[in-house]
Amino acid sequence: MKSADFAYHRPGDIAEAVRHLQDYDGGARVLAGGQSLMPMMNMRLWRPDAVVDINGLTDLAELTAEGDETRIGALVRYSTLEFSPLVAERLPLLKAMVAFVGDRQVRNRGTIGGSLVQGDPTGEMPLGCLVLGATVSVLGPSGAHTIAMEDLYEGAYTATLAPDEVLTEVRVPPHPPHFAFRECCRRHNDFCVLSVAATGRMADDGRWRGLRIGLGGVNDTPVLAEASMALLEGSRLDDADIAAAGGAALRAIDPPDDIRGSAEYRAHLVPIYVARVLRDLRASAQAAAR
Amino acid sequence: MSGTERAIAFRLNGEAVSADAPVRMHAADFLRHRLGWTGTHVGCEQGVCGMCTILVDGAAIKSCLMLAVQLDGAEVTTVEALAEGDRLNAAQESFKRHHALQCGYCTPGFLMLAESLKASGRTLSRAEVREELVGVLCRCTGYENILRAVEEYLNADEPEASR
Ligand SMILES: Cc1cc2nc3c(=O)[nH]c(=O)nc-3n(C[C@H](O)[C@H](O)[C@H](O)COP(=O)(O)OP(=O)(O)OC[C@H]3O[C@@H](n4cnc5c(N)ncnc54)[C@H](O)[C@@H]3O)c2cc1C
Ligand code: FES
Ligand code: FES
Repeated sequence: MKSADFAYHRPGDIAEAVRHLQDYDGGARVLAGGQSLMPMMNMRLWRPDAVVDINGLTDLAELTAEGDETRIGALVRYSTLEFSPLVAERLPLLKAMVAFVGDRQVRNRGTIGGSLVQGDPTGEMPLGCLVLGATVSVLGPSGAHTIAMEDLYEGAYTATLAPDEVLTEVRVPPHPPHFAFRECCRRHNDFCVLSVAATGRMADDGRWRGLRIGLGGVNDTPVLAEASMALLEGSRLDDADIAAAGGAALRAIDPPDDIRGSAEYRAHLVPIYVARVLRDLRASAQAAAR
Repeated sequence: MSGTERAIAFRLNGEAVSADAPVRMHAADFLRHRLGWTGTHVGCEQGVCGMCTILVDGAAIKSCLMLAVQLDGAEVTTVEALAEGDRLNAAQESFKRHHALQCGYCTPGFLMLAESLKASGRTLSRAEVREELVGVLCRCTGYENILRAVEEYLNADEPEASR
Protein backbone atom coordinates (compact mmCIF):
# COMPACT_ATOMS: atom_id res chain seq x y z
CA MET A 1 0.00 0.00 0.00
CA LYS A 2 0.93 3.65 -0.21
CA SER A 3 1.30 6.17 2.57
CA ALA A 4 -1.33 8.84 3.10
CA ASP A 5 -0.20 12.40 2.41
CA PHE A 6 1.75 14.40 4.96
CA ALA A 7 3.84 17.56 5.20
CA TYR A 8 7.58 16.93 4.93
CA HIS A 9 10.25 18.87 6.79
CA ARG A 10 13.99 18.42 6.64
CA PRO A 11 15.38 20.66 9.40
CA GLY A 12 18.97 21.89 9.28
CA ASP A 13 19.46 21.81 13.04
CA ILE A 14 17.97 20.10 16.02
CA ALA A 15 16.23 23.19 17.43
CA GLU A 16 14.38 23.52 14.14
CA ALA A 17 13.40 19.84 14.33
CA VAL A 18 11.89 20.40 17.77
CA ARG A 19 10.03 23.50 16.52
CA HIS A 20 8.46 21.53 13.69
CA LEU A 21 7.39 18.78 16.08
CA GLN A 22 5.87 21.40 18.38
CA ASP A 23 3.97 23.05 15.51
CA TYR A 24 1.98 19.89 14.84
CA ASP A 25 0.97 19.38 18.44
CA GLY A 26 1.56 15.65 18.54
CA GLY A 27 0.68 15.05 14.87
CA ALA A 28 4.26 14.91 13.56
CA ARG A 29 6.73 12.01 13.61
CA VAL A 30 10.50 12.02 13.48
CA LEU A 31 11.85 10.09 10.48
CA ALA A 32 15.25 8.50 11.19
CA GLY A 33 16.13 5.26 9.35
CA GLY A 34 12.50 4.68 8.40
CA GLN A 35 12.79 0.93 9.00
CA SER A 36 9.78 0.96 11.32
CA LEU A 37 8.10 4.25 10.45
CA MET A 38 7.94 3.68 6.67
CA PRO A 39 6.31 0.22 6.86
CA MET A 40 3.76 1.61 9.34
CA MET A 41 2.98 4.53 7.02
CA ASN A 42 2.91 2.39 3.87
CA MET A 43 0.42 0.08 5.58
CA ARG A 44 -1.54 3.15 6.76
CA LEU A 45 -1.34 1.98 10.33
CA TRP A 46 0.12 5.42 11.02
CA ARG A 47 -0.97 8.60 9.22
CA PRO A 48 1.10 11.43 10.66
CA ASP A 49 0.22 15.00 9.64
CA ALA A 50 3.91 15.69 9.17
CA VAL A 51 7.23 13.90 8.96
CA VAL A 52 10.34 15.58 10.35
CA ASP A 53 13.31 14.00 8.59
CA ILE A 54 16.38 14.21 10.86
CA ASN A 55 18.78 12.56 8.40
CA GLY A 56 20.43 15.92 7.68
CA LEU A 57 21.43 16.42 11.33
CA THR A 58 24.99 15.14 11.06
CA ASP A 59 25.75 16.15 14.68
CA LEU A 60 23.50 13.29 15.71
CA ALA A 61 25.55 10.74 13.74
CA GLU A 62 28.68 10.91 15.87
CA LEU A 63 30.20 8.08 17.84
CA THR A 64 32.74 9.19 20.43
CA ALA A 65 34.68 8.02 23.48
CA GLU A 66 34.61 10.49 26.37
CA GLY A 67 36.64 9.19 29.26
CA ASP A 68 34.95 6.01 30.45
CA GLU A 69 31.75 6.80 28.64
CA THR A 70 30.88 5.97 25.05
CA ARG A 71 28.46 8.33 23.35
CA ILE A 72 26.39 7.15 20.44
CA GLY A 73 24.46 9.78 18.48
CA ALA A 74 20.81 8.93 17.84
CA LEU A 75 21.41 8.82 14.09
CA VAL A 76 24.26 6.29 14.25
CA ARG A 77 23.18 3.43 12.00
CA TYR A 78 23.31 -0.25 12.85
CA SER A 79 25.94 -0.85 10.16
CA THR A 80 28.19 1.77 11.77
CA LEU A 81 27.92 -0.01 15.12
CA GLU A 82 28.59 -3.30 13.34
CA PHE A 83 31.88 -2.21 11.76
CA SER A 84 33.17 0.48 14.14
CA PRO A 85 36.51 -0.38 15.83
CA LEU A 86 35.46 1.87 18.74
CA VAL A 87 32.33 -0.21 19.33
CA ALA A 88 34.28 -3.47 18.95
CA GLU A 89 36.72 -2.34 21.60
CA ARG A 90 34.44 -0.54 24.03
CA LEU A 91 30.98 -2.08 23.55
CA PRO A 92 31.49 -5.67 22.41
CA LEU A 93 28.03 -6.72 23.66
CA LEU A 94 26.34 -4.19 21.33
CA LYS A 95 28.54 -5.32 18.45
CA ALA A 96 27.52 -8.93 19.06
CA MET A 97 23.83 -8.03 19.31
CA VAL A 98 23.59 -5.73 16.30
CA ALA A 99 24.43 -8.62 13.97
CA PHE A 100 21.04 -10.10 14.91
CA VAL A 101 19.07 -7.06 13.76
CA GLY A 102 17.20 -7.40 10.47
CA ASP A 103 19.22 -7.82 7.30
CA ARG A 104 21.97 -5.92 5.52
CA GLN A 105 19.63 -3.30 4.04
CA VAL A 106 17.84 -2.74 7.37
CA ARG A 107 21.20 -2.34 9.13
CA ASN A 108 22.42 0.13 6.51
CA ARG A 109 19.50 2.44 7.29
CA GLY A 110 18.12 1.79 10.79
CA THR A 111 19.46 3.92 13.66
CA ILE A 112 20.02 3.30 17.34
CA GLY A 113 17.80 6.26 18.26
CA GLY A 114 14.95 4.97 16.10
CA SER A 115 15.28 1.52 17.59
CA LEU A 116 15.16 2.84 21.16
CA VAL A 117 12.16 5.10 20.51
CA GLN A 118 10.36 2.38 18.57
CA GLY A 119 10.71 0.20 21.69
CA ASP A 120 10.00 -3.17 20.15
CA PRO A 121 9.85 -5.60 23.12
CA THR A 122 12.11 -7.98 21.16
CA GLY A 123 14.51 -5.30 19.93
CA GLU A 124 18.20 -5.99 20.34
CA MET A 125 19.30 -2.38 20.97
CA PRO A 126 16.79 -1.67 23.76
CA LEU A 127 17.91 -4.85 25.54
CA GLY A 128 21.63 -4.23 25.02
CA CYS A 129 21.39 -0.62 26.21
CA LEU A 130 19.38 -1.69 29.28
CA VAL A 131 21.90 -4.36 30.30
CA LEU A 132 24.80 -1.95 29.78
CA GLY A 133 23.09 0.61 32.04
CA ALA A 134 22.88 3.31 29.36
CA THR A 135 21.02 6.60 29.60
CA VAL A 136 19.53 8.53 26.69
CA SER A 137 19.62 12.29 26.16
CA VAL A 138 16.44 13.96 25.00
CA LEU A 139 15.81 17.47 23.70
CA GLY A 140 12.41 19.14 23.71
CA PRO A 141 10.85 22.60 23.80
CA SER A 142 11.66 22.97 27.51
CA GLY A 143 15.30 21.91 27.09
CA ALA A 144 17.43 18.82 27.45
CA HIS A 145 17.15 15.99 29.97
CA THR A 146 18.28 12.42 30.36
CA ILE A 147 16.33 9.21 30.88
CA ALA A 148 17.82 5.98 32.22
CA MET A 149 17.08 2.93 30.04
CA GLU A 150 15.19 1.42 33.00
CA ASP A 151 12.72 4.32 32.76
CA LEU A 152 12.47 4.71 28.98
CA TYR A 153 9.36 2.60 28.43
CA GLU A 154 5.86 2.56 29.83
CA GLY A 155 4.80 -0.37 27.67
CA ALA A 156 5.38 -2.17 24.41
CA TYR A 157 6.34 0.26 21.62
CA THR A 158 5.85 3.13 24.05
CA ALA A 159 8.85 5.23 24.95
CA THR A 160 8.24 7.95 27.54
CA LEU A 161 9.31 10.73 25.16
CA ALA A 162 6.80 13.51 24.48
CA PRO A 163 5.76 13.81 20.81
CA ASP A 164 7.78 17.02 20.48
CA GLU A 165 10.98 15.57 21.92
CA VAL A 166 13.94 14.17 20.01
CA LEU A 167 16.28 11.52 21.34
CA THR A 168 19.74 12.93 20.67
CA GLU A 169 22.25 10.45 22.04
CA VAL A 170 22.85 7.29 24.02
CA ARG A 171 25.47 7.39 26.75
CA VAL A 172 26.96 4.09 27.76
CA PRO A 173 29.04 3.66 30.93
CA PRO A 174 32.12 1.36 31.00
CA HIS A 175 31.41 -2.11 29.68
CA PRO A 176 32.10 -5.00 32.09
CA PRO A 177 34.86 -7.39 30.93
CA HIS A 178 32.60 -10.38 30.25
CA PHE A 179 29.39 -10.63 28.29
CA ALA A 180 27.20 -13.18 26.54
CA PHE A 181 24.15 -13.02 24.30
CA ARG A 182 21.74 -15.52 22.75
CA GLU A 183 18.39 -15.29 21.09
CA CYS A 184 15.79 -17.74 19.89
CA CYS A 185 14.41 -16.93 16.47
CA ARG A 186 11.95 -18.85 14.30
CA ARG A 187 13.22 -17.37 11.08
CA HIS A 188 16.78 -16.18 10.72
CA ASN A 189 17.03 -12.40 11.29
CA ASP A 190 13.35 -12.00 12.12
CA PHE A 191 12.22 -10.43 15.36
CA CYS A 192 13.11 -12.94 18.07
CA VAL A 193 10.91 -15.13 20.29
CA LEU A 194 13.13 -14.25 23.21
CA SER A 195 16.62 -12.99 23.88
CA VAL A 196 18.98 -12.97 26.85
CA ALA A 197 22.02 -10.76 27.41
CA ALA A 198 24.36 -10.79 30.39
CA THR A 199 27.45 -8.90 31.54
CA GLY A 200 29.66 -9.17 34.61
CA ARG A 201 33.07 -9.25 36.17
CA MET A 202 34.78 -12.22 37.79
CA ALA A 203 36.95 -10.94 40.65
CA ASP A 204 40.38 -12.41 41.50
CA ASP A 205 38.76 -14.66 44.13
CA GLY A 206 36.71 -16.30 41.36
CA ARG A 207 33.47 -14.72 42.52
CA TRP A 208 31.18 -12.72 40.22
CA ARG A 209 30.36 -9.09 40.88
CA GLY A 210 27.84 -6.74 39.32
CA LEU A 211 26.33 -9.40 37.13
CA ARG A 212 23.44 -8.12 35.01
CA ILE A 213 20.97 -10.23 33.07
CA GLY A 214 18.42 -8.76 30.66
CA LEU A 215 15.52 -10.51 28.94
CA GLY A 216 13.88 -9.48 25.67
CA GLY A 217 10.58 -10.63 24.17
CA VAL A 218 9.13 -11.95 27.43
CA ASN A 219 7.47 -8.81 28.71
CA ASP A 220 6.04 -5.55 27.34
CA THR A 221 9.54 -4.11 27.53
CA PRO A 222 13.03 -5.51 27.93
CA VAL A 223 13.52 -6.30 31.63
CA LEU A 224 16.34 -7.05 34.06
CA ALA A 225 16.10 -10.44 35.79
CA GLU A 226 16.68 -8.80 39.16
CA ALA A 227 15.99 -11.85 41.33
CA SER A 228 18.54 -13.86 39.34
CA MET A 229 21.07 -11.03 39.54
CA ALA A 230 20.71 -10.86 43.33
CA LEU A 231 21.14 -14.64 43.64
CA LEU A 232 24.35 -14.57 41.64
CA GLU A 233 26.05 -11.62 43.34
CA GLY A 234 29.29 -12.97 44.83
CA SER A 235 28.67 -16.50 43.54
CA ARG A 236 31.14 -18.61 41.57
CA LEU A 237 28.55 -19.22 38.87
CA ASP A 238 28.69 -22.97 39.41
CA ASP A 239 26.06 -25.27 37.92
CA ALA A 240 23.76 -25.04 40.94
CA ASP A 241 23.94 -21.21 40.94
CA ILE A 242 23.11 -21.16 37.26
CA ALA A 243 20.14 -23.50 37.63
CA ALA A 244 18.75 -21.40 40.49
CA ALA A 245 19.22 -18.17 38.51
CA GLY A 246 17.45 -19.69 35.49
CA GLY A 247 14.40 -20.50 37.61
CA ALA A 248 14.43 -17.11 39.35
CA ALA A 249 14.34 -15.35 35.97
CA LEU A 250 10.69 -16.45 35.66
CA ARG A 251 9.81 -13.84 38.29
CA ALA A 252 10.67 -11.04 35.85
CA ILE A 253 8.50 -12.20 32.99
CA ASP A 254 4.93 -11.72 31.78
CA PRO A 255 5.28 -13.15 28.31
CA PRO A 256 2.97 -12.42 25.38
CA ASP A 257 1.14 -14.97 23.23
CA ASP A 258 1.76 -14.01 19.64
CA ILE A 259 2.50 -15.27 16.15
CA ARG A 260 6.11 -16.12 17.09
CA GLY A 261 5.34 -18.19 20.17
CA SER A 262 2.88 -18.83 23.00
CA ALA A 263 3.38 -17.42 26.48
CA GLU A 264 3.82 -20.97 27.74
CA TYR A 265 6.56 -21.69 25.21
CA ARG A 266 8.38 -18.49 26.12
CA ALA A 267 8.18 -19.32 29.83
CA HIS A 268 9.56 -22.77 29.03
CA LEU A 269 12.50 -21.25 27.17
CA VAL A 270 13.48 -18.59 29.72
CA PRO A 271 15.33 -20.79 32.28
CA ILE A 272 16.98 -22.70 29.44
CA TYR A 273 18.29 -19.59 27.66
CA VAL A 274 19.31 -17.86 30.89
CA ALA A 275 21.32 -20.95 31.88
CA ARG A 276 22.97 -21.15 28.45
CA VAL A 277 23.97 -17.50 28.54
CA LEU A 278 25.35 -17.83 32.06
CA ARG A 279 27.41 -20.85 31.00
CA ASP A 280 28.72 -18.81 28.05
CA LEU A 281 29.62 -16.01 30.46
CA ARG A 282 31.46 -18.39 32.76
CA ALA A 283 33.29 -19.98 29.83
CA SER A 284 34.42 -16.60 28.50
CA ALA A 285 35.86 -15.68 31.92
CA GLN A 286 37.60 -19.05 32.20
CA ALA A 287 39.07 -18.67 28.72
CA ALA A 288 40.32 -15.17 29.58
CA ALA A 289 41.88 -16.43 32.83
CA ARG A 290 43.98 -19.04 31.01
CA MET B 1 -1.78 11.94 -7.53
CA SER B 2 -2.72 14.86 -5.31
CA GLY B 3 -0.79 16.18 -2.36
CA THR B 4 2.41 17.98 -1.57
CA GLU B 5 5.29 17.84 -4.06
CA ARG B 6 8.88 18.89 -3.68
CA ALA B 7 11.65 19.50 -6.21
CA ILE B 8 14.62 17.15 -5.90
CA ALA B 9 17.91 16.68 -7.75
CA PHE B 10 20.18 13.65 -7.57
CA ARG B 11 22.37 11.41 -9.73
CA LEU B 12 20.84 8.22 -11.10
CA ASN B 13 23.24 5.73 -12.65
CA GLY B 14 25.72 8.52 -13.33
CA GLU B 15 23.26 11.00 -14.84
CA ALA B 16 21.82 14.11 -13.25
CA VAL B 17 18.07 13.99 -12.60
CA SER B 18 15.83 16.87 -11.48
CA ALA B 19 12.16 16.27 -10.87
CA ASP B 20 9.22 16.98 -8.62
CA ALA B 21 8.43 14.22 -6.18
CA PRO B 22 5.19 13.82 -4.22
CA VAL B 23 6.40 13.75 -0.61
CA ARG B 24 4.32 10.69 0.24
CA MET B 25 5.79 8.62 -2.63
CA HIS B 26 8.47 6.06 -1.80
CA ALA B 27 11.67 5.97 -3.82
CA ALA B 28 10.85 2.71 -5.64
CA ASP B 29 7.56 4.05 -7.00
CA PHE B 30 9.28 7.28 -7.96
CA LEU B 31 11.99 5.50 -9.95
CA ARG B 32 9.43 3.30 -11.67
CA HIS B 33 6.41 5.52 -12.22
CA ARG B 34 7.87 9.01 -12.44
CA LEU B 35 11.20 8.25 -14.11
CA GLY B 36 10.28 5.05 -15.97
CA TRP B 37 13.20 3.00 -14.65
CA THR B 38 11.34 -0.24 -13.98
CA GLY B 39 14.33 -2.48 -13.25
CA THR B 40 13.79 -1.92 -9.54
CA HIS B 41 10.92 -4.19 -8.53
CA VAL B 42 8.28 -3.81 -5.85
CA GLY B 43 6.85 -6.64 -3.77
CA CYS B 44 5.63 -6.00 -0.25
CA GLU B 45 6.16 -2.26 0.34
CA GLN B 46 6.86 -3.03 3.98
CA GLY B 47 10.56 -3.78 3.96
CA VAL B 48 10.36 -7.56 4.03
CA CYS B 49 10.95 -8.92 0.51
CA GLY B 50 13.95 -6.89 -0.69
CA MET B 51 12.74 -6.69 -4.33
CA CYS B 52 13.24 -2.92 -4.25
CA THR B 53 16.91 -3.01 -3.16
CA ILE B 54 19.01 -0.24 -4.74
CA LEU B 55 22.24 1.53 -3.83
CA VAL B 56 22.06 4.99 -2.27
CA ASP B 57 25.49 6.54 -1.79
CA GLY B 58 26.89 3.03 -2.20
CA ALA B 59 24.80 1.39 0.53
CA ALA B 60 22.21 -1.29 -0.33
CA ILE B 61 18.83 -0.13 0.97
CA LYS B 62 15.17 -1.01 0.45
CA SER B 63 13.76 1.78 -1.67
CA CYS B 64 10.16 1.20 -0.50
CA LEU B 65 11.34 2.33 2.96
CA MET B 66 12.85 5.56 1.71
CA LEU B 67 10.89 8.58 0.52
CA ALA B 68 11.62 9.82 -2.99
CA VAL B 69 12.38 13.26 -1.51
CA GLN B 70 15.15 11.65 0.53
CA LEU B 71 17.02 10.88 -2.69
CA ASP B 72 17.75 14.61 -3.01
CA GLY B 73 21.51 15.07 -3.32
CA ALA B 74 22.26 11.34 -3.38
CA GLU B 75 24.15 9.08 -5.76
CA VAL B 76 21.65 6.37 -6.74
CA THR B 77 22.45 3.13 -8.55
CA THR B 78 19.86 0.70 -9.89
CA VAL B 79 20.13 -2.56 -11.78
CA GLU B 80 19.99 -0.65 -15.08
CA ALA B 81 23.55 0.55 -14.40
CA LEU B 82 25.05 -2.92 -14.64
CA ALA B 83 24.92 -4.03 -18.29
CA GLU B 84 26.61 -2.03 -21.01
CA GLY B 85 24.15 -2.22 -23.87
CA ASP B 86 23.59 -5.92 -24.41
CA ARG B 87 26.76 -6.89 -22.60
CA LEU B 88 26.01 -8.23 -19.14
CA ASN B 89 28.35 -7.30 -16.34
CA ALA B 90 30.29 -9.93 -14.40
CA ALA B 91 27.61 -10.31 -11.72
CA GLN B 92 24.89 -10.84 -14.31
CA GLU B 93 27.09 -13.29 -16.24
CA SER B 94 27.66 -15.22 -13.05
CA PHE B 95 23.90 -15.38 -12.37
CA LYS B 96 23.36 -16.67 -15.91
CA ARG B 97 26.11 -19.27 -15.65
CA HIS B 98 24.83 -20.60 -12.34
CA HIS B 99 21.11 -20.58 -13.27
CA ALA B 100 20.60 -18.21 -10.36
CA LEU B 101 17.20 -17.06 -11.61
CA GLN B 102 13.97 -18.58 -12.80
CA CYS B 103 11.21 -15.96 -13.00
CA GLY B 104 13.79 -13.23 -12.38
CA TYR B 105 11.58 -11.07 -10.19
CA CYS B 106 14.08 -11.10 -7.32
CA THR B 107 17.19 -10.80 -9.50
CA PRO B 108 17.63 -6.99 -9.44
CA GLY B 109 17.55 -7.07 -5.63
CA PHE B 110 20.19 -9.79 -5.41
CA LEU B 111 22.36 -8.14 -8.05
CA MET B 112 22.37 -4.85 -6.18
CA LEU B 113 23.28 -6.60 -2.93
CA ALA B 114 26.06 -8.40 -4.79
CA GLU B 115 27.34 -5.09 -6.18
CA SER B 116 27.46 -3.51 -2.73
CA LEU B 117 29.31 -6.50 -1.32
CA LYS B 118 31.84 -6.43 -4.15
CA ALA B 119 32.43 -2.71 -3.62
CA SER B 120 32.89 -3.20 0.13
CA GLY B 121 36.05 -5.21 -0.59
CA ARG B 122 35.30 -7.52 2.36
CA THR B 123 36.50 -11.11 2.11
CA LEU B 124 33.57 -13.30 3.05
CA SER B 125 33.17 -16.98 3.82
CA ARG B 126 30.26 -18.86 2.25
CA ALA B 127 28.37 -18.61 5.53
CA GLU B 128 28.92 -14.86 5.59
CA VAL B 129 27.74 -14.45 2.00
CA ARG B 130 24.61 -16.42 2.89
CA GLU B 131 24.06 -14.10 5.84
CA GLU B 132 24.52 -11.00 3.68
CA LEU B 133 21.84 -12.19 1.26
CA VAL B 134 18.99 -12.80 3.73
CA GLY B 135 17.35 -9.47 2.94
CA VAL B 136 16.10 -10.53 -0.49
CA LEU B 137 13.57 -13.33 -0.86
CA CYS B 138 13.32 -15.71 -3.82
CA ARG B 139 10.28 -17.92 -4.34
CA CYS B 140 11.73 -19.93 -7.23
CA THR B 141 15.35 -20.99 -6.97
CA GLY B 142 15.87 -22.28 -3.45
CA TYR B 143 18.81 -19.84 -3.12
CA GLU B 144 21.65 -22.32 -3.64
CA ASN B 145 22.46 -21.15 -7.17
CA ILE B 146 22.16 -17.52 -6.17
CA LEU B 147 24.65 -18.15 -3.40
CA ARG B 148 27.05 -19.81 -5.86
CA ALA B 149 26.68 -17.01 -8.38
CA VAL B 150 27.32 -14.27 -5.83
CA GLU B 151 30.22 -16.16 -4.31
CA GLU B 152 31.88 -16.62 -7.68
CA TYR B 153 31.37 -12.97 -8.52
CA LEU B 154 32.90 -11.85 -5.24
CA ASN B 155 35.87 -14.16 -5.57
CA ALA B 156 36.69 -13.27 -9.18
CA ASP B 157 39.42 -10.67 -8.93
CA GLU B 158 39.71 -9.63 -12.55
CA PRO B 159 37.97 -6.31 -13.17
CA GLU B 160 34.87 -6.79 -15.29
CA ALA B 161 36.10 -4.48 -18.07
CA SER B 162 39.05 -6.78 -18.90
CA ARG B 163 36.91 -9.74 -19.86
C1 LIG C 1 12.75 -6.54 7.50
C2 LIG C 1 12.96 -5.91 8.84
C3 LIG C 1 13.52 -6.66 9.86
C4 LIG C 1 13.75 -6.09 11.11
N1 LIG C 1 14.31 -6.86 12.08
C5 LIG C 1 14.56 -6.32 13.28
C6 LIG C 1 15.20 -7.08 14.30
O1 LIG C 1 15.55 -8.25 14.12
N2 LIG C 1 15.42 -6.48 15.50
C7 LIG C 1 15.07 -5.17 15.74
O2 LIG C 1 15.32 -4.66 16.83
N3 LIG C 1 14.47 -4.42 14.79
C8 LIG C 1 14.21 -4.96 13.58
N4 LIG C 1 13.61 -4.18 12.61
C9 LIG C 1 13.20 -2.79 12.94
C10 LIG C 1 14.39 -1.86 12.79
O3 LIG C 1 15.31 -2.15 13.80
C11 LIG C 1 14.09 -0.37 12.82
O4 LIG C 1 15.18 0.23 12.19
C12 LIG C 1 14.05 0.32 14.13
O5 LIG C 1 13.05 -0.30 14.87
C13 LIG C 1 13.73 1.80 13.96
O6 LIG C 1 14.87 2.61 13.72
P1 LIG C 1 14.84 3.66 12.51
O7 LIG C 1 16.04 4.49 12.63
O8 LIG C 1 14.63 2.94 11.25
O9 LIG C 1 13.59 4.55 12.94
P2 LIG C 1 12.29 5.05 12.18
O10 LIG C 1 11.59 3.93 11.52
O11 LIG C 1 12.64 6.23 11.35
O12 LIG C 1 11.46 5.54 13.44
C14 LIG C 1 10.88 4.63 14.36
C15 LIG C 1 10.12 5.41 15.43
O13 LIG C 1 11.01 6.15 16.26
C16 LIG C 1 10.79 7.55 16.14
N5 LIG C 1 12.13 8.16 16.13
C17 LIG C 1 13.18 7.77 15.36
N6 LIG C 1 14.29 8.45 15.70
C18 LIG C 1 13.94 9.29 16.70
C19 LIG C 1 14.66 10.24 17.49
N7 LIG C 1 15.98 10.45 17.32
N8 LIG C 1 13.97 10.94 18.43
C20 LIG C 1 12.64 10.74 18.62
N9 LIG C 1 11.91 9.84 17.91
C21 LIG C 1 12.56 9.13 16.98
C22 LIG C 1 9.97 7.72 14.88
O14 LIG C 1 9.18 8.88 14.93
C23 LIG C 1 9.16 6.45 14.86
O15 LIG C 1 8.07 6.57 15.73
C24 LIG C 1 13.39 -4.73 11.34
C25 LIG C 1 12.83 -3.95 10.32
C26 LIG C 1 12.62 -4.53 9.07
C27 LIG C 1 12.03 -3.69 7.98
S1 FES D 1 9.02 -3.93 -1.84
FE1 FES D 1 10.59 -3.07 -0.64
S2 FES D 1 11.12 -4.70 0.65
FE2 FES D 1 9.40 -5.51 -0.40
S1 FES E 1 13.74 -16.25 -9.51
FE1 FES E 1 11.62 -16.07 -9.13
S2 FES E 1 11.60 -15.07 -7.20
FE2 FES E 1 13.68 -15.49 -7.49
